[in-house]
Amino acid sequence: MNNTTQPKRSDEPVWWALFSAGGVCFAVVVPGAILALALLPAFGGISADNLSYPRISALLHDALWGLAGLAFIGSVICLPLFHAAHRIHHGLHDLKLGGGLLSKVLCYGSAAALSLLAIYLVS
Amino acid sequence: MSKTINIARYNPQTDSRPQLQAFQVESDNSTSVLDALLQVQQQDPSLGFRWSCRMAICGSCGVMVNGIPKLGCKTFLRDYPDELTVSALAHFNVEKDLIVDMQPFLTHLAAVKPYLINDDQSSQPHRQTPAQLAKYQQFANCINCGLCYSACPQFGLNPEFLGPAAITLAQRYNLDSRDAGKTARMPELNSKNGVWGCTFVGFCSEVCPKKVDPAAAVNQGKVASAGDFIISMFKP
Repeated sequence: MNNTTQPKRSDEPVWWALFSAGGVCFAVVVPGAILALALLPAFGGISADNLSYPRISALLHDALWGLAGLAFIGSVICLPLFHAAHRIHHGLHDLKLGGGLLSKVLCYGSAAALSLLAIYLVS
Repeated sequence: MSKTINIARYNPQTDSRPQLQAFQVESDNSTSVLDALLQVQQQDPSLGFRWSCRMAICGSCGVMVNGIPKLGCKTFLRDYPDELTVSALAHFNVEKDLIVDMQPFLTHLAAVKPYLINDDQSSQPHRQTPAQLAKYQQFANCINCGLCYSACPQFGLNPEFLGPAAITLAQRYNLDSRDAGKTARMPELNSKNGVWGCTFVGFCSEVCPKKVDPAAAVNQGKVASAGDFIISMFKP
């Protein structure tokens, strides 16, 4: 290894930060969302009226000037998408199928595209 | 009692690949894999393997036992059934039988400048509080045996990856209150072959015979490198 030239700085901190944030959301926010939106209403823990269209629409679009909806989509869809994309990107490297620029563009690109789609659908 | 030990024999001058050869060894409750290899060497003096201290401090008797990186002196036949397989450390080139070329490992260690860097020339002792010592002490217990490199699938895929022990050593000096060389070490750690070559498999920490926990050091290194990345954005 040549000690006289410095190796190039990796851009991995950006993807690792999104991966870490997504991991926390996957572990904390997503199970909470599944509990509140799927399990509790299905088993009668809370009334299904709580999930009525006007109520949810108001929560997503109006609460905190729409920021609550954005935070919900960001933590339940966007960040977990980047977490999953990071795992797939490095998984492909482990399987010797990629890990280069192409898989990076495909993985993080689809995470970004799906995130924008999610934000567009609720905005 | 007698046990069978299958040894991956390899002579680069005559063999195209390692071949298993079975030997019978006498084993009691205190027979280590290293003891067994020494018995085999009595039967066949051509067997090549490294060893020195017999007490898990020199780090030279690393081998794969049933495919898991182990120190021969710290691994006992009593923990295995009647038969076990010993081969050279994975991810290194074999020189002969159980002897591998450790040069890539040593090159990676040297690349992170593993020594105190400090311009302070005072003759006064550099005192440390117990808290300052505790920050890096665990990472200072590495004996450079290389087991973590054999355990690391990322080093297996990419030999340019600095690897667990080198990054742990960098972290050991970066965390030392007497050291001022972090700026000189960070460029190696910030690169794709530095801390970012790790995918946190964690097997390095499982096989470490000194419980150094290199995986923890590498992940602390990732946090340090991410911090360094943010600081670099505000520098011209």
